[in-house]
Amino acid sequence: MSTLTAGTPAATVTAGTRTSWAAVLTLARFETRLLLLRAPVLVAFAVYLGWTVWRTRTSWDGFPALQDADRATQGAPLLVGLAVLLCANQAVLRSRRYDTDRHLAVLVVQPWRRTAAHLLSVAAVALLTGVCVAGQFTWEALKPGAVGQGSPGELLVGPLCVLLFGAAGVLLARLVPSAFAAPLLIVLCLFFALLAPMASDEDSAARWLSPVVEESGPHPLPSELLGRPAAWHALYLAGLALSVALTAVLLSGAGRLRSLRAACAGAVLLTLVGAVAQSQGVPRETTEARTRYSVTPEKEQRCAERDATTYCAFPEWGARTDDWDRVLDGVRSLAGGAAQDRPLVVRQRVEARYGLAGDAAIDPATRPGEITVGTSWGGNRAPEFAVAVAGVLVAGTEAKAGGMCDGRMVTVMWLALADRPDPMADLRRVRLDDSDAGSAVVLSRTNPLSMTAAQTEVVRELLLRPKDGTAAKVRAHWAELTAPKVTTDRVARLLGLDEPEARDECL
Amino acid sequence: MTPTVSASGLSLRYGGTRALDDVSLRLSAGVTGLLGPNGAGKTTLLRVLATAVPADRGAFTVLGHDPGTSRGRQEVRRHLGYLPQTPGFHPDFTPFEFVDYVAILKELTDRAARHREVRRVLDEAGLDGVRGKRIRKLSGGMRQRVALAAALVGDPAFLVLDEPTVGLDPEQRMRFRELIARAGEGRTVLLSTHQTEDVAMLCHRVVVLAGGTVRFDGTPAELTARAAGRVWSSAERDPGAKAGWRTGLGTFRNVGDPPVGADLLEPTLEDGYLLTLDGLDGVDTEVAA
Repeated sequence: MSTLTAGTPAATVTAGTRTSWAAVLTLARFETRLLLLRAPVLVAFAVYLGWTVWRTRTSWDGFPALQDADRATQGAPLLVGLAVLLCANQAVLRSRRYDTDRHLAVLVVQPWRRTAAHLLSVAAVALLTGVCVAGQFTWEALKPGAVGQGSPGELLVGPLCVLLFGAAGVLLARLVPSAFAAPLLIVLCLFFALLAPMASDEDSAARWLSPVVEESGPHPLPSELLGRPAAWHALYLAGLALSVALTAVLLSGAGRLRSLRAACAGAVLLTLVGAVAQSQGVPRETTEARTRYSVTPEKEQRCAERDATTYCAFPEWGARTDDWDRVLDGVRSLAGGAAQDRPLVVRQRVEARYGLAGDAAIDPATRPGEITVGTSWGGNRAPEFAVAVAGVLVAGTEAKAGGMCDGRMVTVMWLALADRPDPMADLRRVRLDDSDAGSAVVLSRTNPLSMTAAQTEVVRELLLRPKDGTAAKVRAHWAELTAPKVTTDRVARLLGLDEPEARDECL
Repeated sequence: MTPTVSASGLSLRYGGTRALDDVSLRLSAGVTGLLGPNGAGKTTLLRVLATAVPADRGAFTVLGHDPGTSRGRQEVRRHLGYLPQTPGFHPDFTPFEFVDYVAILKELTDRAARHREVRRVLDEAGLDGVRGKRIRKLSGGMRQRVALAAALVGDPAFLVLDEPTVGLDPEQRMRFRELIARAGEGRTVLLSTHQTEDVAMLCHRVVVLAGGTVRFDGTPAELTARAAGRVWSSAERDPGAKAGWRTGLGTFRNVGDPPVGADLLEPTLEDGYLLTLDGLDGVDTEVAA
């Protein structure tokens, strides 16, 4: 049983500390702590952080283009946003639910200031999301293989979505004081998210009204070619979040405050400006630049000479030259004849005319000694590039290599893979069907090559043998091995193998 | 003595019902009891004085601040502690969190000072042992103490308590009386209650409200004195009594106009209260045996 204690002197509370806005900030801290400790928010953050860490560890095979990495921060915060929508809504409805309204209504901090505190608590969670987004992007940017540059506008989308969703939860509580409204809104949001991509045209300006507009293709584009109105979209989201938040405050009893009404009108104006500006489509200059980069990349590139090879890359990809050079050197060191010293040009190419999501093939280069390299790197792209180098060393041009249907394919594949750390694994990776037996298409940034079952058998046997012995035979028989129409059987014999048993028919 | 609260001509209608009709009051330091039957307008009067609802007519000030203006209302609220009838709680909060939350809403922004104040009122309410326990796990009496602690936080000059002892067992009521008595030291407390014993034990002054109007405003002794010579004992219930009931001794205690030669008894505050309400429309003072 508790006992009553003698009264102690009341704490002195000076009038100076009793300022309304200081109380709002104090209340916001109180509500932020409660919001961050709510189970849905904790779970959402745990899933968000777990997924982000898991994904970022291996994203882009360690070679991110930061102009793509910034967009990759946008989707996952939506989960946090939905949790904040639910919990902020419940926090606002708490007094009504537990019937404390009658008591709290006569306290000094007015309802509209309490609403402002709820909104500030949402802003704190949005800020925390911003820290997570910054962390994720910094991680990508610090990877040794990172190139390009991110956009602040794209990076702001995640935190702004959390802010918008949270503000929507607060406003909803003021409009529909029912505990069922927020879950219903979340279901509607999920339904919309499911249907919107199906219903909207990829080029439709209306899709930019969605909080997150994901566009991704297999090959990064230079920043200049993205054509995404990232800054306008961020402005649109910020304006929308602010409009929703200020409307919630106005509906909480601050309707008489002229400054607040003016701020709300300003926020709506910002939203409209952002909405209109973001819906203008891809700018003409961007479209023209996309064509220039696609058709005449040499005009946009900087070139660097390394021994007999010239590397020409778009400005943001200059740092990749070392990676390309390592692979090319490995292939060239195994080649024979004049191929070891043959002048080569590695040219980065991109097909940007179909936008970010485009996956159009690039025509093979027809100039002798020119090798195409894409904008992606790491993973399958390195052996794919090695195949392209070997193809040019053997056939002379990319175009000729693409049409190859004879025993030279064995030399190409062995040259490409023999110097790789795990040749057999790379053999499987560059084949479309991930196999190391039978006939298959070989990946390429331009026209794909193909291997017959017999060639695959020979290459597999060669890769299992010591590299140096085969390299000596390749150099010794280079002319015959790279002669057009040489048969797979002949190549096998020249390289010290029995004739393959598998079929030797091109795809 | 300068009154803390000064109200004149307060009137309020809810639809066709006149909840308050020309109520005038002057409250100063100490505990003032507000008695009245159900529907008398007690809670309405407390809500008006607590600035929860505005009066249709009339005016009042608290410590000289007029709640009729926005600024004045804020000032009144800065000096107000309010314990509503059947207060709500956030069940997932601890008493400390709940009172801390209320303290913030009273604009106590300095964290260290506020937490000292919260601990002080929790200690004063005898809740120091359960300050970290979830409110949903507390008994009704404990919850009522949390509500009182929330009303006391910030050391308000004017404390409005709406039936704080309802639903409490006798021991809890006794403890609550101690709390209220201590709260009345140096501040103005307006205590609405049905319990005439509470008023008799706690209040230096009592106001009886019925039908939205003030029927009595004086000391408990004055209210009791209204029944002097009007309470008597008899073997059977006296048909001429306004109210009468059988006591534990087997005799009847009658209140009203006694017959000649009646065995007069010492009146209580409740007798005075019953006689004050006698004859009012809609007020049943008949107490059956």
